[in-house]
Amino acid sequence: MSPAITVRDLTKRFDKVHALTDGRLTVERGEIHALLGANGCGKSTLSKIVAGAYAPTSGTVLIDGKEVSFRSPRDAEQMGIALFYQELSLIPKMSVEANIFLRREPRNGLGFIDRDRMRAETLKLLEMFKEAVGDDIRPDALVADLTPGQRQIVEILKVYAKEPRIVIMDEATAALDGRQVKVFFDILRKKREEGVSTIFISHRLDEVFEICDHATIMRNGAVVAETTIADTTPEHVVHMMVGDVKKAPKRQLRDEDDKAPLLKLDAVGSAQLDNVSLSVAPGEIVGLGGLQGQGQSTLLRSLFGALPITSGEVLLNNEPVSIRKPADAVHRKIAYVSGDRGPDAALPGRSIFENLAAAILVSERRKLVRAKELQPQLAGVASAFKTKYARMTDAIGTLSGGNQQKIFIARWLATNPQLILLDDPTKGIDLAAKADLFALIRGLADSGVAVLLYSSEESELLDNCDRIAVFNDGAIVTELSGAEMDSFHLTRAAYGEA
Amino acid sequence: MKNTLSAAKPASGSLKKPAWFVAFGFLVVLILINWYLQPSFFDGMVLHSNLTTFLPLILVAIGQTFVIMGGDIDLSVGSIAALVNVVTVSVIAMAGGDSASVPIGLVAGLVVAVLCGAFNGLLISYLRLQPMVATFGTGIIFSALALWILPQAGLAVPDVYWMTYGGTILGVPTVLWILVAGFVFVLIMKRRPFESHLKAVGGNRAGAFQSGIDMSFTRLLSFALCGLFAGFAALCLTGETASGDPLLGQSLAMGSISAVVLGGTMLSGGVGGAVGSIFGALLLGMIGNVIFFAGLPFEYQTLVQGLIVLAALAGGVLVARK
Repeated sequence: MSPAITVRDLTKRFDKVHALTDGRLTVERGEIHALLGANGCGKSTLSKIVAGAYAPTSGTVLIDGKEVSFRSPRDAEQMGIALFYQELSLIPKMSVEANIFLRREPRNGLGFIDRDRMRAETLKLLEMFKEAVGDDIRPDALVADLTPGQRQIVEILKVYAKEPRIVIMDEATAALDGRQVKVFFDILRKKREEGVSTIFISHRLDEVFEICDHATIMRNGAVVAETTIADTTPEHVVHMMVGDVKKAPKRQLRDEDDKAPLLKLDAVGSAQLDNVSLSVAPGEIVGLGGLQGQGQSTLLRSLFGALPITSGEVLLNNEPVSIRKPADAVHRKIAYVSGDRGPDAALPGRSIFENLAAAILVSERRKLVRAKELQPQLAGVASAFKTKYARMTDAIGTLSGGNQQKIFIARWLATNPQLILLDDPTKGIDLAAKADLFALIRGLADSGVAVLLYSSEESELLDNCDRIAVFNDGAIVTELSGAEMDSFHLTRAAYGEA
Repeated sequence: MKNTLSAAKPASGSLKKPAWFVAFGFLVVLILINWYLQPSFFDGMVLHSNLTTFLPLILVAIGQTFVIMGGDIDLSVGSIAALVNVVTVSVIAMAGGDSASVPIGLVAGLVVAVLCGAFNGLLISYLRLQPMVATFGTGIIFSALALWILPQAGLAVPDVYWMTYGGTILGVPTVLWILVAGFVFVLIMKRRPFESHLKAVGGNRAGAFQSGIDMSFTRLLSFALCGLFAGFAALCLTGETASGDPLLGQSLAMGSISAVVLGGTMLSGGVGGAVGSIFGALLLGMIGNVIFFAGLPFEYQTLVQGLIVLAALAGGVLVARK
């Protein structure tokens, strides 16, 4: 029996950027197959070609041993292939059921949408996740009103509603909580018994080792290894994924109390913040820890003027300041880098140069853009980050997520900030780029910049911060420093047991 | 705790009022005011003449809704109506000008209407031109064609045309039949997958593409449908004026867009429906009526009309934001 999918010699070029140079993949029937690699390694490109969303530049795709060439996602769908989209494919202003059955609406004899059947089948699908969400997701609820985790579940159900034989789960667990992931894995195992093949893409290695049978590992657009999960270890897999990793240098313990704080917060409050008091000295990297969504991002956005502060005082260099909009923050030399590149940072469809210049134009109050003068300056900043791009005038969308994020960080470095607010800045960035990034941030701190860093990965906080303020429900529950800065204390504080 | 919170949210969503709620409320208020100012408002004759006046805008607004739901806009509907009008009267005249030639003229007009709409759709969904600029351009072309076909107003249609349109069928005014047919069409579309796909295209292009919807064809169809309804409107106007006029329907484009927005359809696409647009078009007509019967000096009428439209729009936005 031939494998469910065989991919050979697949390449894909976007203009001058080779996103995929050597795509290979073999997935058997009834197998959960991990596709691993740092971001920008080409795994999304490979999976989108298999799902018919991209046409390959060259190479062959065989489904059940027969060669196919898809012209659209619809062609792939007809062959029983369904892709879970990392960037959600849901329509926010439509109901859950209309989204799940979009383009595949059950119809009655008159060609009308059979709403009763659609409702019944949606309820049946929701039943699969009942253990994790109960009756929280109603078929007639608007997708826009759901939480990110619930939206992700709807997206997963949309995939299974097509009754596919081959499923590509591209970061399908990103927004799920622990209980939802467990239920999702039970579904994956059940589908495996039914003979469904799954290509599983995840940044969480523990998940891969829990659920997958085989793995294909990619680096820089090419497949570097194929292995059976039982025969390998996470360390070995990471090694294959990233090649050589540069570790951020271990810092020396700083002398305390030698400098006046650059930023001081005195009982800052708002709708989502509760009496936050914190001080950051020049040259210090202070981490904001805790479970996701406990007020860390809110604090950073509030300091940048994007969200209101309703009580308390913010002191910058010992002077009370009022920052009502991001432009105020930029003029006070505060920089903000978000992990949500799309909505928070990108000027989509515009050139890399324009994306780089966005902040410096505001901070220098420039009315005219002298491209020739600015370009070399900005190119220097971008190259310090090892950003890979063809030309400064290319659209920002031609870069991989990791390279885009480097551009958005470089954007701020051009303004010489005194305070940098980092809001989960490494979301979707590969390990090598992360190491570059943190080395650079430490360098900035050493030159006297104050840094506030929120990260959803606790190892990033533990490795890179001088102190960590741990948040729970909008308030700082404790501050960790010195010997207390370890995983145990951080987790315990995050769950509010400090 | 968390579960109860997230459960409460969708529940409130399903209790949400339909998008046309505000327009309908305003409409009822204006009808009552009109009734007070003009006690004969509910007489059959008055209703009949009001409906005859409002009907073309209602029809154009229905078609415009589909384009706007898909995230596009059609500024050429007025010109399409003018072109259809002159084609219809010219074809009737060429076919002999008797009552037997009327159906030929009607069909010719509607074919031209659909072709115009499809041409817009082709430019926008396949050649990727910006809808606002493209339909502004094609609108000029359609107007020019209308002037070329019939340089001067005239060319009367056979009596049977306007008498049927102004009269009754089976004891019910023809215009009411047309309105009911429009309503039924809108209700049918509401339950067809097409409207759902169109909203997906307007609401999230990437998501619609990833769901396998043929976006270009869906948008093309919406423009063709919009053209068809501009054609229907033109045939009604022809029944009212009983002759050709290459400059007819110039206010239809902006009027129909206002009606659609008043009816709760979002200009950004993806949300709304044609039921609201019918109420929106009626609302616009009633605003004109009330100002007329309130006895305002002529020179203030347009100004007051603009202010009321603005107030109605703002009201809709405020309610939607809640």
